Amino acid sequence: MRDFDVRAWLHSLARLWRSSLQLRTIAITLVLSGVAVAIIGGYMSYSVGTNLFDAKRTQLESTSATATLAGQGVFDDAAEQLIAEEPDVTMSDAYVVISNAASSGGEIQVAIRRSPADGPGTPLSIQSPGFDSEAFLSPELRAAVQDSAEDRTHSQSVALDVDGVTQPGLVVGSTLDVRGAQYELYLVYNLLDTQQTLGFVQQTLVLGGLALVLLIGAVTYVVVRLVVGPVQLAAETSERLAAGQLEVRIPVRGEDVIATLARSFNGMAASLQNQITRLAALSQVQQRFVSDVSHELRTPLTTIRLAGDVLYDQRETFPPATARTAELLHTQVERFELLLADLLEMSRYDAGAVDMETEPTNLVRLVEDAIESVASLAASKGSDLRLVAPGGYFEAEVDSRRIRRILQNLLGNAIDHGEGKPIVVWVDSDQHAVAIAVRDYGVGMTPAAMDRVFDRFWRADPSRQRVTGGTGLGLAIALEDAALHGGWLEVWSADGQGSCFRLTIPRVRGMVLQSSPLELPPDEPEVFDA
Amino acid sequence: MNARILVVDDDTALAEMIGIVLRAEGFEPFFCEDGALAVDAFHSSRPDLVLLDLMLPGMDGIEICARIREESGIPIIMLTAKSDTADVVKGLESGADDYVVKPFNPKELVARVRTRLRPTPATTTGTLQIGDLVLDVTGHEVKRGDSKINLTPLEFELLLALALKPQQVFTREMLLEQVWGYHYKADTRLVNVHVQRLRAKVEEDPDNPRIVMTVRGVGYRAGSIT
Repeated sequence: MRDFDVRAWLHSLARLWRSSLQLRTIAITLVLSGVAVAIIGGYMSYSVGTNLFDAKRTQLESTSATATLAGQGVFDDAAEQLIAEEPDVTMSDAYVVISNAASSGGEIQVAIRRSPADGPGTPLSIQSPGFDSEAFLSPELRAAVQDSAEDRTHSQSVALDVDGVTQPGLVVGSTLDVRGAQYELYLVYNLLDTQQTLGFVQQTLVLGGLALVLLIGAVTYVVVRLVVGPVQLAAETSERLAAGQLEVRIPVRGEDVIATLARSFNGMAASLQNQITRLAALSQVQQRFVSDVSHELRTPLTTIRLAGDVLYDQRETFPPATARTAELLHTQVERFELLLADLLEMSRYDAGAVDMETEPTNLVRLVEDAIESVASLAASKGSDLRLVAPGGYFEAEVDSRRIRRILQNLLGNAIDHGEGKPIVVWVDSDQHAVAIAVRDYGVGMTPAAMDRVFDRFWRADPSRQRVTGGTGLGLAIALEDAALHGGWLEVWSADGQGSCFRLTIPRVRGMVLQSSPLELPPDEPEVFDA
Repeated sequence: MNARILVVDDDTALAEMIGIVLRAEGFEPFFCEDGALAVDAFHSSRPDLVLLDLMLPGMDGIEICARIREESGIPIIMLTAKSDTADVVKGLESGADDYVVKPFNPKELVARVRTRLRPTPATTTGTLQIGDLVLDVTGHEVKRGDSKINLTPLEFELLLALALKPQQVFTREMLLEQVWGYHYKADTRLVNVHVQRLRAKVEEDPDNPRIVMTVRGVGYRAGSIT
């Protein structure tokens, strides 16, 4: 569980990383400046440390040289005065003098040793209490001191153990000449104060470095805000623009590159808005025009219709050619009228000026009515119409005029293309939807034809004789009618096996359809005998 | 005597053609081309029925319809180039009895005119009761108590149809056939609008009808006699 949490956290972090340019920029800046500061700080620390140490060593070496001279002086005096003193007393005196002379370099430890080892006739080696010759005096140092010329000092870093705490120290070695015998003088200085100075410098460097990195981070944040902010605003604005708010613009401030971006974006938005408004206006004008034309055509068409019908009613009194003319006029005016009605309906859909008038309607009864209204037409083509209605016996809130129009269209098409074979109409419902399917067993369609069957003015087979005198807009309008109900109108067809149109509408208006209660095409009814 | 019909239409060709059709059927047409003159023409010609175009110069067809309705209950049939809901409903609400959508054919027009002009079938005489109203069938009068309620012939017929069969629930289609003479599917808005107009006149509280009752999902029936 915890592992999952961590992973989720990492995942969200990664997403934030990918999504936030600001975070990425600041993080990268922090890391890079951190590395740079660390390198510079490290170098400075090293260099300061080395310099401090070198200076200290030089100072201590010169102190040691002075102390050595002073010590040597004690021994020389003792030799000149020929005071038959105890050589060990002289040694003690020299020890004190050396200690005093060298103590300007801080707390010290002193050792004077006969070189290479204690021998008879010479004073014994002497050393401060706690002088750890094992730790302080490496063989290399001793060898270097023993072999060195007069007045030369040699130094070496050592670790001092003060009350169990290791502190840095420096051993400076030189040589003394005591009555011809060579002694080695070792002075051990404590470098704690130098170390502390270095520590302080390092601490300052670290704090300074951290502060610098944080400062750089803050500066980056501000800079990124300055640059990314407008970009973000531009991104948000373009999203709103894309969402259809054509009037949104980016505020332009100043003359910089961001302002240029804002200006060109606004220019783009303005021209986009112009274009869209123009197209919308154009489309509105177009739709208005179609609608107006349809309306304007109606009055003269009515006159023509009346005149044609008056002539048609009297055609028996005319010579044959004139009578036929009256007949043609009559049928073609009728056709023209249907076309005009469909065109007007289509233009209403295009203009979005369609109202739905729902009323509780029993769809099975509606289908029965529709079947009845085309029964005589079907009979004249030899098609047997049958209804299979396992469901749909409830009052659906639909615009019955539109549903009836869809049905009449589908039935008309089925009769036209059914080749006199039976036509089956299914009605079924489930808890979400109600479906009506109209199936014929006629010529069917090719897949290419199926793709175009809802297109305006498209005809399956122009050479085919139509009985119902369709306008070519029927299925396009039916599709719009179905869509108005939030429903589907779908087609299935196979060449030579007939076609099936399935209308599915939701039981409750406004519900989104998920599936249809009927298969496409529905299973054959058991009683079916083609 | 031939029925007199006033044709109000600004399209002279159509008006003339309608005249030819009406004359052939034995009616006597009068014409008016200007909406502003329509009410005067109505007064001077004293028609038995008005055919009224909705789109007119001068005065709107809907306005004319409302003016005529104010003083007379004579049948008005709208001629409309618009089958759009809003216009048709507006026309019906302003008092038109029926409407014909252009382009119509002569038979359709004549059938509409005849239906509106036919005398009420005198199957019943005497009086009928519906709710607290008394219908004098012969005298074409409706009374609540002693006060007379003015109904147009169409509204009277609608009420009569319901009152004749108080037990029957009428679907809108049945009423369309009985009152408007449509033998095929027609616009049920005709029924809806006229039931509303009728209720506004006869109901004491139109929002809570007691004379013309709604049967949800089916249609209407007469209120019980009180």
